[in-house]
Amino acid sequence: MNETELIEAAKAGDRNALGRLIKQYEQTVYNFAFKICRDREKAENTMQETFLSMVKSLHQFDGNSKLSTWLYRIVSNHCLMQARYSNKYQFVDVETEDSLFDDRYLSDSSKIPWKEFENNELRAILDKAISKLAPDYRVVFLLRDVEQLSTEETAEATNLSVAAVKSRLHRARAFLRNELEKEMSK
Amino acid sequence: MDVTVTCKDVMSHICDSLGEELQSPKCIAIRSHMDSCDCCKNYFDSVEKTIGFYRDYKIVMPEEAHDRLMKYLDMCDCDPVGQE
Repeated sequence: MNETELIEAAKAGDRNALGRLIKQYEQTVYNFAFKICRDREKAENTMQETFLSMVKSLHQFDGNSKLSTWLYRIVSNHCLMQARYSNKYQFVDVETEDSLFDDRYLSDSSKIPWKEFENNELRAILDKAISKLAPDYRVVFLLRDVEQLSTEETAEATNLSVAAVKSRLHRARAFLRNELEKEMSK
Repeated sequence: MDVTVTCKDVMSHICDSLGEELQSPKCIAIRSHMDSCDCCKNYFDSVEKTIGFYRDYKIVMPEEAHDRLMKYLDMCDCDPVGQE
């Protein structure tokens, strides 16, 4: 069965088809949730909540968007709800961060020692950088740049306008790039 | 139409529309600026590399997490492989 047939079968009550859809997307949903939550236990809880929502509301899925986009919307909402619920950290306010495009970042670009970092070291740097970014911005950056959804699909998954997606993406990219540069140049 | 752009314009534009082949006079001016400005070219590369690192950063779900998920959904009786 292809995905459309699996969705129709699952809607009609075929639990094996539903199980197959879950199996198909569980790694994607887990990986995405981890990248937002930065915690394995929270990522697994979010994945469970996401698929519970999917099971409950699959009958409302109209097929006008891809199933993956629909799932990204659900997992993004769960991640953001969880982040707001347990928000004990102060994130960098990139909205009012005027220095994101400071000239010094231009002259420093060629000095970043990209090749000197081991995988584990690099992961720690990436973790540190993205954890400073507010979850609202992380979601947009991850959907658009990492999961490679289109700007329109990202807007649909986040309930934002295309202009708002572009604005958040623009700032998230600059912020993360500058954070990596700062950490790698230490 | 001639459009003059500064390095700051280019930085902002790179983060705005990375990799999109836009044809507006400003986009064309920016591409032309990048061809002759090493600083901006390096900046573009660094933004692309940053995104590439995050794209390659994958976390593998533990095997038991699938079983826990199916139990949570009360779907342990399902046979997803049977639908292949």
